[in-house]
Amino acid sequence: MAAEAGPAPAGRAVLGSPGLRLSGRRLLAAIPVLWGVTFLTFVLMNLLPGNAAQELLGANATPADVRALELKLHLNEPFWTRYWHWLSGVLHGDLGASLTSGQPVTSILAQRLPVSFELMIYAFCLSVLLAVPVAAAAAHRPGGWADRLSMMVSMAGLSIAPYVLALLLIFIFAVRLQVLPAIGFVPLGQSVVGNIKSLTLPALAIGLPLACFYTRLLRADMVEQMQGEDYVVTARAKGVAPWQVLIRHAMRNSMFGFLTVLGLNLGTLIGALVIIEPIFALPGIGQVLLQSIHDRDIVVVEAVVLVFALIVVLANLLTDLLYALLDPRIRYGRPAA
Amino acid sequence: MRFWSKTTKSARLGVSAGLLALALAATACGSSGGTSASSGASATPHAGGSLTVLEDSGYEGAWPAGLDPATNTSGAADQSYMDSIYGQLFELGSHGKIIPDMATGYAFSNGGKTVTIHIRPGMKFTDGTPFNAQAVVWNIQRDLKSPCTCKPTWPVSSVTAQGTDTVVINLKMVFAPIISSFIDSTANWIASPTALKKMGEKQFALTPVGAGPFIVVSDTLSSVLVLKRNPNYWQKGRPYLDKLTFKSVGGDEAAYEALLAGEAQVYENMSTPALLKQAAQHFTVVNQLSTSPYDLQLNTAIPPFNNIKAREAIYYATDIQPIVSHIFDNLYPLTQSFTAPGGICYQPKVPGYRTYDLAKAKALVKQLGGLTVNLGTINILVAKETTQALQTEWAKAGIKTTISSYDLGPLIQQFTGKKWQAMVQTAGAYDPAAGVGVGFRFSSLSPFSGVHDPRLDSLLNQASGTLDMSTRCKLYDQAAAYISQQAYGPFYFSFAPANIAAKGVIGPGLTSPLSSVVVTPNVPWEDVSNSGGSTG
Repeated sequence: MAAEAGPAPAGRAVLGSPGLRLSGRRLLAAIPVLWGVTFLTFVLMNLLPGNAAQELLGANATPADVRALELKLHLNEPFWTRYWHWLSGVLHGDLGASLTSGQPVTSILAQRLPVSFELMIYAFCLSVLLAVPVAAAAAHRPGGWADRLSMMVSMAGLSIAPYVLALLLIFIFAVRLQVLPAIGFVPLGQSVVGNIKSLTLPALAIGLPLACFYTRLLRADMVEQMQGEDYVVTARAKGVAPWQVLIRHAMRNSMFGFLTVLGLNLGTLIGALVIIEPIFALPGIGQVLLQSIHDRDIVVVEAVVLVFALIVVLANLLTDLLYALLDPRIRYGRPAA
Repeated sequence: MRFWSKTTKSARLGVSAGLLALALAATACGSSGGTSASSGASATPHAGGSLTVLEDSGYEGAWPAGLDPATNTSGAADQSYMDSIYGQLFELGSHGKIIPDMATGYAFSNGGKTVTIHIRPGMKFTDGTPFNAQAVVWNIQRDLKSPCTCKPTWPVSSVTAQGTDTVVINLKMVFAPIISSFIDSTANWIASPTALKKMGEKQFALTPVGAGPFIVVSDTLSSVLVLKRNPNYWQKGRPYLDKLTFKSVGGDEAAYEALLAGEAQVYENMSTPALLKQAAQHFTVVNQLSTSPYDLQLNTAIPPFNNIKAREAIYYATDIQPIVSHIFDNLYPLTQSFTAPGGICYQPKVPGYRTYDLAKAKALVKQLGGLTVNLGTINILVAKETTQALQTEWAKAGIKTTISSYDLGPLIQQFTGKKWQAMVQTAGAYDPAAGVGVGFRFSSLSPFSGVHDPRLDSLLNQASGTLDMSTRCKLYDQAAAYISQQAYGPFYFSFAPANIAAKGVIGPGLTSPLSSVVVTPNVPWEDVSNSGGSTG
């Protein structure tokens, strides 16, 4: 892409790179998005009944006890003061400390995020690796046995709640077959195989419904490409094998919509962590988020939401950059040739 | 296992798909047969080995504030961890008796206003510092100053040490349940003052130091707590286990499947009746002894329950036996008062108690010109199912009921807002005057009471100020009769959860029932052994 700008000093070439300019613009645009997310979260947490002081002190708390702790935690201060205090801390690189445990939020994130991040990547990869070949097999012969079977499995996968699916997977693979652990997490540093095994069922519980969704989407798009596009007719007329037309031409074109959905669906992936991590007793950030919402620990909730929002923004930016890789005609920042 | 190892991968997948369908069908059909509980085998304890215990992430499996006695507001739920790390000054033993543990005894003097507690001599915290009267006094004083409402609610005038092994607590008035209330207050857990001062409160809450049977190896809040044997524990030969791991898991179903998969050996406090039936086929299931019966609190300060006729209509419209039979499989005994089988002064029958009489209920509703009730409860399964059943029963008497369930925070707001009408709650404790006892739900001074009656207050105060147990119990009988006479709130059944243990695991609370502290029992993990396998 930089070659189009002609000879230039290396530094200027990099800075002038359309991809980099796009990244810069998108990251700048992400600032109000991230701010909006944190603000809305703060508003929602404040709308919830109860507060951290009440939750910390428990059911026996007298109103005087609660008031005293509210003063200590600054929960008595006006909404805007508290939000500004939190926001200015973040702008200075300080995410604050948990209202419940007093632990710095950065150390909570450092301890929990790697587990969730690994699970997210694993679930994402599983969903894509399952969806793409199945969709291709289904689109190869619409109405054929592979298509009908994939349709049936996809519908079943989309109909089962993740919670039920998780329990079913445990029942089959941990209780009956005893090939994978039902609960717990093995750190990567302790055992690579153990780590993969400990995350396989949770990743399947998250990834399978997504794979079913992606399969239907990709299959429909590929069938449409195969049936109506001129380039497919041309390729066929040239004698290109049907599988090659499907994989090298139709699938490549279908990837645009697929990539967009992958980026947008990252939020679903993150949301599933909150449900799945406690079932599999994984010490991840989803479990912390759930507990913090329950405890009205607004500092931790804000930090986790901010990190998740940042991941979604970055993932969508990556998606946009991948468009250019898939289609060399796309040049960001310049009119299409 | 052997069969599966011989099959091909594709065959496994095919069979897995079949199993998936079968499992779905099994889920749809629900549980079948099984006994409600099976008693564990009595075997000789086995020293060594490890044990993994699962806890529900919604209650016992949450320790978000850490494990410092003075600041852990979930102490009642987290007693397994706290007891394992700190031990207990007094414990609620197998026969529903308070037993000195790290204390060796106590005595009342000065007409009951002075309590002298003797501390077991020669004990040390796991950091090597002495566990003595000074440490106990320092902890109790810290607990009393703590803003946490888990602190002891004694009328204390002073707490002092006499020598190295004696603690003297002077009270402003006689408070008979002071020793009983150790077991449900933070004063029972003694932290190392040296370690706490050295680490600071925040760090100490994450890596606490006590003199209990186990030592913290690692602590991931509300997720995993790994403990190892304390070789210098005061009781020789205890604990039996070398390693004890607590894991937080998302609910009864997930825990049950993890037990079936052999990845844990114990699950504390299961309360799903259908799963209890199934669990009894594979594990030792022990239903614990309740100390806190479910009751219906009525707000007598506002309509409609400021009218005794409305309260009487509720008594007459409620038939609790079918509810306990159909929903809870007759697991829990019925009661008409705030006492329960696991506690002191147990008296399930109250003379003159209004029992189910639909005709009387209908007549009263007619006299009132109709009765509409907002019925609330805490957001847990047993309580919610009870409110749904009550709604159905009351409808037969013409009572229109709206039901709601609340998480803890919103529930407390309902009480402090004082607009609530009726709440299904638990009332009672091992000692009715301690913890969430009768006063918590029926005393004028409690913000969680719907009753404001000086005569009842006087009865309850007399009882808590009486050292003689038989006189105290008579006073509680009178209080129960008075609550019934005034129709201040019906009592239903004595709920206590069950503990599930794999074969080979033995110990109090796991192979024999224990009385509950607050709502759940207190398993002494130092007395638990595991001769079976473990993934620990």
